[in-house]
Amino acid sequence: MPRESSNLVQRSFALMPQFIDTKVAEPPRVADETLIAKAVGGDRRAFGQLVERHYDFIFRTACKWCGKVSDAEDVAQDVCVKLASILRSFDGRAAFTSWLYRVTLNAVRDMQRARSRRGRNVDRYAEVAPDEFLPEQEDSAAAKELWTAVRRLPDQQRDAVLLVYAEGMSHAEAGVIMGCKEATVSWHVHEAKKTLRGLL
Amino acid sequence: MSNHDDFDHKLAALQGLNPPAPNAARRNQALDAAMLAFDAEQKSATQGSSTISRLSSMFANARRNFVMDNRLTYGLGTAAVALLLLPLGYQLYTSTAITPVGVPPVTVTTTADPVPLGGEAEQKVEAPANGTAAMETPTADLEIRLDDRAEANPPVEEGEADMAVMAPAPEAAPLGEVAKPVMRTLAQPGGAQPQMSAGVQPLTESFAEPMMVAPTDPSGDAFAKFTESPVKIVKNEPVSTFSIDVDTAAYSYVRRALNEGWVPEPDAVRIEELVNYFSYDYPAATDAATPFKPTVSVYPTPWNDKTQLVQIGIKGYVPPVTEDTASNLVFLLDTSGSMDQPDKLPLLKRAFGLLVDQLGENDTVSIVAYAGSAGVVLEPTKGSDKTKILSALDNLSAGGSTAGAAGIELAYQLAEQHKVQGGVNRVILATDGDFNVGIDDPEDLKTYIKNKRDGGVFLSVLGFGSGNLGDDTMQALAQNGNGNASYIDSFKEAQKVLVADAGGTLDTIAKDVKIQVEFNPAVVSEYRLIGYETRALNREDFNNDKVDAGDVGAGTTVTALYEITPVGSGAELNDPLRYETDAAATPDAAAATEFGFLKLRYKEPDSDTSKLIEVPIGKDLAVDSLEAASADDRWAAAVAAFGQKLKGSVYGDMAWADIRKLAQGARGEDEAGYRAEFMGLIDMAAVLRPNVVPATPIEETEVAPVPAVVPEPDAVQVPEAAPVPEAVPAPEALPAPEAVPVN
Repeated sequence: MPRESSNLVQRSFALMPQFIDTKVAEPPRVADETLIAKAVGGDRRAFGQLVERHYDFIFRTACKWCGKVSDAEDVAQDVCVKLASILRSFDGRAAFTSWLYRVTLNAVRDMQRARSRRGRNVDRYAEVAPDEFLPEQEDSAAAKELWTAVRRLPDQQRDAVLLVYAEGMSHAEAGVIMGCKEATVSWHVHEAKKTLRGLL
Repeated sequence: MSNHDDFDHKLAALQGLNPPAPNAARRNQALDAAMLAFDAEQKSATQGSSTISRLSSMFANARRNFVMDNRLTYGLGTAAVALLLLPLGYQLYTSTAITPVGVPPVTVTTTADPVPLGGEAEQKVEAPANGTAAMETPTADLEIRLDDRAEANPPVEEGEADMAVMAPAPEAAPLGEVAKPVMRTLAQPGGAQPQMSAGVQPLTESFAEPMMVAPTDPSGDAFAKFTESPVKIVKNEPVSTFSIDVDTAAYSYVRRALNEGWVPEPDAVRIEELVNYFSYDYPAATDAATPFKPTVSVYPTPWNDKTQLVQIGIKGYVPPVTEDTASNLVFLLDTSGSMDQPDKLPLLKRAFGLLVDQLGENDTVSIVAYAGSAGVVLEPTKGSDKTKILSALDNLSAGGSTAGAAGIELAYQLAEQHKVQGGVNRVILATDGDFNVGIDDPEDLKTYIKNKRDGGVFLSVLGFGSGNLGDDTMQALAQNGNGNASYIDSFKEAQKVLVADAGGTLDTIAKDVKIQVEFNPAVVSEYRLIGYETRALNREDFNNDKVDAGDVGAGTTVTALYEITPVGSGAELNDPLRYETDAAATPDAAAATEFGFLKLRYKEPDSDTSKLIEVPIGKDLAVDSLEAASADDRWAAAVAAFGQKLKGSVYGDMAWADIRKLAQGARGEDEAGYRAEFMGLIDMAAVLRPNVVPATPIEETEVAPVPAVVPEPDAVQVPEAAPVPEAVPAPEALPAPEAVPVN
């Protein structure tokens, strides 16, 4: 039977990787805002560029948050896909990276939630996954312990601690990312410290 | 604490972590996926493709439902807290500048990177991201509100708070359901519908027999909830209507559960599917024009000597072997990470190998895999090219997360492109049940499948494994796709479904088969349909050809059982009314010779108008004793009794030994050994869920002692109501924010 490919989406993205070649010298930097505006207007080149530019940031953020490289890769991909549809909801009131940070954070949580829903039984046995991402060898055992403890904190406390201590943000900045008031961040940090003191 | 104390130094060590550089392949994959999503988004924005908009709304609904569902399972206390906190959470949420609007919380993984195979890379990647990626959903704020609710409620979240908050109570065994077996009032609790109190029977009774092996909920398997069909009074509701059900998934599931040593949750036991698992020797129809004729028999109820069972059996026409109908099959295979277990993907491969063995020159097979990526693994290939098909199957491996919706679309596209007029066009979905993360609401996928079905492509679903099985989704998909849902728990079962019953699985001979029975109030005072709860139809649906119903495959037998209470038997569950005069109900003499009247509607596979078959259920069909009933009749009754007892039905109870005896005497030839296997299940069930009544004469009014009730697992704690107002403390009570090191 003849193939009717007309109603299939063409593999148009096949060309995508070529127009940003990281091996070649970086092209003149266009502001994120310009790219966003173009992408929202339907410019797929601009969108590709934007995602490309921020993928590493998304991945690293996810990595810190979930502590597993494979999970972080999944999350990062999710975020990239989501960006296609949610980019237009970015209103420019905060920096793009802050916004992206929060999107990534939400994606991490979605994943963790989905996991707790699906693999309740499985995960209980695999508390420390083989590819858990922890500080490198030269770092002290204490740091590893610290990371493990922090990642087990309740969502909000963990977010607050990581934003403030790992990312070095002020409480106000963390509040912007977490979508809550500065005071709430302080409170979460306070609570987290209480918990951590008991553990470490 | 407001100073840089030791602890702050300690925490500062957190900064030393440098995540590794991203893997280049994964990076490119993600970027490709993003572009695909972008294209789909653009397409939906500019063309407003109906598929996309439908799908996106579907996602949104599913998400909403998911949130609702989960909240329900938190338990009442949390629900109350949630209600209190929602406005507060919303307040917090709206107070920030960059809260993303419209973040689709559904995890969508649309990878443009298919399983590489035999140099077909170029064609394989046509996975259209239609819809999957194009999800502009208004549900994001709901999601975020949920976040904020948790956020505003930190005191609850101590230690493993994630678990405590997220872990829903075991879905399949909520309190009400578990309590049901408690109400084992075997007999007639004068007038009241026993149903009504089933859920609220005091639990205190339930510890009467603490040694009882408690049925457990070992699984994350999801089942659609249903309540047993209640007893109906013929005078009030003389007509009973339902759609036939040819699925057998429930039987396989129950078998697996019992063999593994646990009692399946009540909602997993769909009695009609248990009964229909076995084939019965009904006279078959002779030609395709009238694809079946009903066989009706009436015999005494084994668990109640005052009532009778009406057994309605139909057997589908078997087309002669010479008619080699061409098939166009698309295998849609779940290769997500969860399938990586011996009883899933490897079994699936062997099972499909069996099916492929039967295909010939006329048939076409394609394979679509979905797991993060939806990709064509095998382009449409002639059934005779077995090597190619089998090696494609062989090369499948499990990994990644599930993105079912994209896969389904792709599979349908392939099926439609290679549609065989007058042949079998079917997508066969094999999964462990977990569809796209977040779309666990069966309702929403229905519409999509239904539209495709109307276009002539049907869907069958094969379930694998346990622990993750979305039985409700499977059922919903198959029912709406004019197909059947089977549960493959072993190679033997694969053989039954895909080889022995292949005709029934693949070759639909009649669709939308509905049964309507009108009972005669002069002869029957009460009736009850056994099973088919999930298939009940409204009375008016019977004549409405738009209403979908079950389908019959070649050679399939379908059995339905009614328990009827003859007038004057004294077994009525409902007391007669004091003020009702019987004058109006006096029928003419002729009608008094019939129990009722059976009507059956079906459509031929390609037709949109239904045909009607009518048969009276005469009193002359009734036999006086169970022994006089045919072996098939007694077998069906035994299976029904087994199902009722296993799920703790409130109607009738037989001792396991009695069920066994009944079944033993009705085994017949049983060439394939299915009935022998059932005997084993009875023994297993008898051990796992001991009798609560003595095996011999049943006292009419005895309220049986009650088996132990599943204790709520400790792990699932419903969080206590939190002190809400204190959730966000006043700033002055806090360490001064500026005291914290800011780099």
